[in-house]
Amino acid sequence: MKAISGTMDEFTRQTMSEPRLDGGIKLTEQQLRARRARSIAIALALGAFVIVIFAVTIVRLGSAVLTRPM
Amino acid sequence: MSVTLARVEPSIAGVGDYIELMKPRVMSLVVFTALVGLVVAPGHVHPVIGFAALLCIAVGAGAAGALNMWYDADIDARMARTAGRPIPRGRVTPGEAAGFGMTLAVFSVVALGLLVNWIAAALLAFTICFYVVIYTIWLKRSTPQNIVIGGAAGALPPIIGWAAATGSIAIEPVVLFLIIFFWTPPHFWALSLYRTEDYIRAGVPMLPVVAGAAETRRQILFYTLLLAPLGATPWFLGYASPLYGMVALAAGAVMIALALRVCAERQGHAASKQMFAFSILYLFLLFAMLLVDRMSGGLGGQLLGHFAV
Repeated sequence: MKAISGTMDEFTRQTMSEPRLDGGIKLTEQQLRARRARSIAIALALGAFVIVIFAVTIVRLGSAVLTRPM
Repeated sequence: MSVTLARVEPSIAGVGDYIELMKPRVMSLVVFTALVGLVVAPGHVHPVIGFAALLCIAVGAGAAGALNMWYDADIDARMARTAGRPIPRGRVTPGEAAGFGMTLAVFSVVALGLLVNWIAAALLAFTICFYVVIYTIWLKRSTPQNIVIGGAAGALPPIIGWAAATGSIAIEPVVLFLIIFFWTPPHFWALSLYRTEDYIRAGVPMLPVVAGAAETRRQILFYTLLLAPLGATPWFLGYASPLYGMVALAAGAVMIALALRVCAERQGHAASKQMFAFSILYLFLLFAMLLVDRMSGGLGGQLLGHFAV
């Protein structure tokens, strides 16, 4: 049981983005900037996707979007 | 048995690198021709549905571009024209490009199916598969007919646009498909005539590499002679105005004149470069005229009829 929990701790430590104290990967300034830019772009793309889905839903269903069987 | 895990450097790829992976210039042509297919289709498409369809087609084209760059990274690195692409430059890894392309491909097809209709979605899926598997993976490295057959992928967007509007396929978008299909060989072979060294270095069997420049020039003329009357077919079939017909015939005549000059050229590549540049304008002109025609409700034809009387 202890072995499993140790493995899980290692997994958590490797996959979470917390700073590592044992000399693991430290992102350079350029890598951090690039990651931040990519994250913002993904957020904007997802936001645009949500808006498109919302708009198409309204166009397709119109006022019927509010009608549902009780 | 020991397993060595490769240490992967954290990515430095910026948003611009991912946009570049989607081949924005090709994408803009795809969107434009799909828009024309969508607009010339009979009936009314709600602007929001039309926009959603074009967005999905654009993303699908971007996916195909990214998957092409993933598979062709070795060739791209050896050609001056493509050596600056994100993978050869070391900005994006091949794996990242493949993952990005696959994600966009699935996303665009499913979204087009759910938001618009499944006929258009199936056509988009077919186009992406054709471009990546048939053209990029199979034909490009194996036959000088690569761009002739592979050109079908670039010619499909007007049919996808039409299908998005009507849920079916008809003769009109098939004619638009044929125009782009027969336009592709003269367009790319004109480019390959003055980039032959690049293709030799990369080991791509383009026509000038395999059959020589003289045969390529003859083939350019042959396809241009087929293309010129085909360009005016929408007018012959009655779904474009006489003004469109006049423009298509005039532009077709210029294409033939340029192809003849390419045929006669013995030194330098001035005629090939002119042919390549004008071929882009030719396709843009034809599709823009169809768009203007439809937007103005055949105004071009009415004006021409007025002056004829």
